[in-house]
Amino acid sequence: MELFLRNLFLASVLLYLFGAVISLILMKRQKACNIIANFICIAASALGAAASVIKILWVNGPIGIFGFKSAIPFVSLDMKVDNLSAIFLLALSILVLCVSIYSIGYISHYIGKRNIGLFNFLYTTFILSMIFVLTSANAVFFYISWEAMSLLSYFLVVFESEKEKNQRAGRLYIIMTHLATAFLLIGFMIIYSYTKSFDLFGSSAGIPEAARNIIFILLLIGFGTKAGVIPLHIWLPYAHPAAPSNVSALMSGIMIKTAIYGLIRFLLCYLGIEHTWWGVVILVLGIASAVLGVAYALMEHNIKRLLAFHSVENIGIILIGLGVCFIALAQNNELVGGLALTAALLHTFNHTLFKGGLFLGAGSIQYAAHTKDIEKLGGLIKKMPVTALFVLCFSLAISAIVPFNGFISEWLTYQSLFANIIPGQAGLNLISILAVAALGLTGALAAACFVKLFGISFLGLPRSNQALKAKEVPVTMNIGMGILAALCLIVGLFPFTILRLIDQVAIDLVGSSILGQLHGGFLIVYYPLKVSANSISPLALLIVLIALILISLLVIRIIGGKYIERKYGTWDCGFEALNARMQYSATGFSKPIKIVFKILFRPTRKTTFEGDWLYHPETIEYTTSFTSVFEEYLYYPMIRTIKQFSQRTKFRIQTGSIHNYLLYIFIMVLALMLYNRFV
Amino acid sequence: MNSMIYILVQILVIIMAAPLVNGIIKKIKALTQKRKGAPVFQMYFDIYKLLQKNSVVSEVSSWIFKVTPYIVFTTAIAAALLVPVSTKLITQQIPGDFIMLVSILALGRFFMMAAALDTAGTFGGMGSSREAMISSLIEPSILVSLFTVGLISQSTSLPQIMNAVQNTGVPLLHPVYIMVFLALLIVIIAETSRIPVDDPSTHLELTMVHEAMILEYSGRHLALMEYGAAIKQLTFITLLVNILIPSDQLIGFTGIGALALSLVIYLLKVVLLSVIIAIIEVNTVKFRLFSIPNLAALSFILAFLGILQYFILGGSHV
Repeated sequence: MELFLRNLFLASVLLYLFGAVISLILMKRQKACNIIANFICIAASALGAAASVIKILWVNGPIGIFGFKSAIPFVSLDMKVDNLSAIFLLALSILVLCVSIYSIGYISHYIGKRNIGLFNFLYTTFILSMIFVLTSANAVFFYISWEAMSLLSYFLVVFESEKEKNQRAGRLYIIMTHLATAFLLIGFMIIYSYTKSFDLFGSSAGIPEAARNIIFILLLIGFGTKAGVIPLHIWLPYAHPAAPSNVSALMSGIMIKTAIYGLIRFLLCYLGIEHTWWGVVILVLGIASAVLGVAYALMEHNIKRLLAFHSVENIGIILIGLGVCFIALAQNNELVGGLALTAALLHTFNHTLFKGGLFLGAGSIQYAAHTKDIEKLGGLIKKMPVTALFVLCFSLAISAIVPFNGFISEWLTYQSLFANIIPGQAGLNLISILAVAALGLTGALAAACFVKLFGISFLGLPRSNQALKAKEVPVTMNIGMGILAALCLIVGLFPFTILRLIDQVAIDLVGSSILGQLHGGFLIVYYPLKVSANSISPLALLIVLIALILISLLVIRIIGGKYIERKYGTWDCGFEALNARMQYSATGFSKPIKIVFKILFRPTRKTTFEGDWLYHPETIEYTTSFTSVFEEYLYYPMIRTIKQFSQRTKFRIQTGSIHNYLLYIFIMVLALMLYNRFV
Repeated sequence: MNSMIYILVQILVIIMAAPLVNGIIKKIKALTQKRKGAPVFQMYFDIYKLLQKNSVVSEVSSWIFKVTPYIVFTTAIAAALLVPVSTKLITQQIPGDFIMLVSILALGRFFMMAAALDTAGTFGGMGSSREAMISSLIEPSILVSLFTVGLISQSTSLPQIMNAVQNTGVPLLHPVYIMVFLALLIVIIAETSRIPVDDPSTHLELTMVHEAMILEYSGRHLALMEYGAAIKQLTFITLLVNILIPSDQLIGFTGIGALALSLVIYLLKVVLLSVIIAIIEVNTVKFRLFSIPNLAALSFILAFLGILQYFILGGSHV
């Protein structure tokens, strides 16, 4: 079995590699290249998904896939898959499968305009680098893959590099991601200096208390930047809109989750949780990210920026689960720890499904209407009904509404918070309660935000010519989204299909089986999910809803007779010239919330009139803007200080003269030699 | 079999009683204004009449507009199923808790807000946007207050909570429950579009929220929307009275008789709370839209104080 599994994983990796090579070879024949490369990715991801499921269900313990020791010290390409890796690989494979199907149609609009061979090469190697991150068994290989992932995603972000905006986004992204990598590097070095080993599956017993805390902070900053935790999130809303939509789907769907993987792998598996404050820090960061992420999302009218902020929000929800897990584990409460870990992992998986899907939806809208600005959309539900249906499903899922999957993971998060409130730990209980309130607020604001997204872009009248001329997208794009939407519903209705897999991870990492606590069977009709005395059954709910709709239809038919409908215009106060400009705009829709939370947004507005301003203004111009507080008050002052500092040192240290630089090198080498000689 | 009886009784009681609450509130308002007012059962006649009328549907709208009334109506009933009208009725677990209750209502609200944007009118957007604000602000306070009572009974399941509070004597003498009661009362006012948050009897564009969202509806669609709102209102009232004014422990026996008695007492409690809501509605004026956050904050603070007191005093009988 193990040998078979190893070959399966290897086959998947080699297929990706083959896809990368072939897309370079076929660079000249763009159409063929696109189809072949994507089909190879589909096959490879199908293999990967199957292998991950088999691994979790039938093989215990980590399996080595590939071990290659090189002559260079420390560098060994060592791949191992344990249950934690496998669950992330499963999420990755499912998303890659759907995105690749989608890409066949989506990339076709680049044919003849761009180098598709190069794009597919980058796309495939980017996937491959993420697989390496998720499976590497030593820190050096992890680091190399991490760096490769960052660089490849940078190239994909700036793929449409002729736009100045995209270059700026790419620059910000690469700076932030390298800052993060620097922190990770220092963390790994500290680990090595105590354990003399880069092995991730080894023991961390030699690391003293203080060093552990420092490593925790370093890794938290490093991984937190990649995940987009507030206040390190600023690259997300720039990088996601710049990248092509299929790449944004991968970046938001799974790349930022590799940071969650990193946090679990290094902190939980490797270091072990001993301090309660680790969990508290993560929980507080989670609360801040969830609430602020969704609040900023509400203010955005660029679909992809809006979705990027929602990634921040969902990372926050995942971190709430993870924080509760860490707190519970530090207090030796394995059961709650396992429950919270299950919640966090399930939300990670779910977010991959619906956020990947939403970015694909944004791509479809852009494909059809050539704009990302929802103020210019409207009425798309009549032009692209299938896309509209899928986007509606994803919107419901991300707003944690039954019967979709987002609800299940949020329910588990609520339950873990509920279980974590134990009399006698006053401070922790208060944080848990605040987390409950924050989750509630986040859920409601997310629903508001997605009513805005769906309502303004798909419903009503088209607000621009582009939206008027939009047509349904190619069928492959809809298939890719359709699979994700179906999975959202399936996981929502039958949570045990995926919880069975996640439970194995929890057993591995925490040592307690949650499935025993989460009662319920596999694929039985009546399907409750239970945590001790609390139970829900989305399936029963769906059956009840459908039954009620049928009964009410019947009753109404009996009382009211046949349904007779009259088409007529919307009430326009007798004005008789309803037009698209009289609808509510996205700005107007979110304005009440903007005013309520004005402390977060610091909105400004400017109204200019021409002519008599009171009775007969010829033109009125109204502009409104809001400040992104973190950029304004945290990053700009920092950048200003660094600039001033470098201005000052420019003439004294950075002289530009090669002689001085040689001198610096000489002094440095000398100092190191002396250090080695005497210490 | 038991669960079938539960579902049947639950649906019948809620559907039959829901419009009555509106009738009582309207009647009391009329009486305070020295009017005779419409009969208490007026809403039943209205619904019956509306169901027989033709529907006018906007040319602009899509299928979202037409399915929304059914979703709003059925989600309201499904939500009502999770809140038992009598603890004598229920012998086993029901597969849903208050977190699911909030989520089911969110499903209905999502479609209602979307449908309001579907007709491309200004009023719909106005209502939808305001509803988005109010519902998000009130959500933390619902969850925290229900978490408080949940912690006391160590369960998020509503029948369990209702059973547990029956052993606490008179909950409303206990500081924890007083806070939760007040917090939930504000929640009810906000969620059911009552003065001072919204005015159900006006069609003035400056003030309306819920009415603005359903402005384009007519005929059977309107009937369903109105009925759905009434059922949602009764669900919240049931939640409040059965958790904070428990009475089933007073009935010493079991069987059909106990159930009937329990339902009668339940209806009396509902009438009592309707009167309280009507009195609040008569004695206050509608708030400015941007004063509503203060009310929501008040509700949240009360809920939060409630849970703080739970940590200090515990939830059992004083």
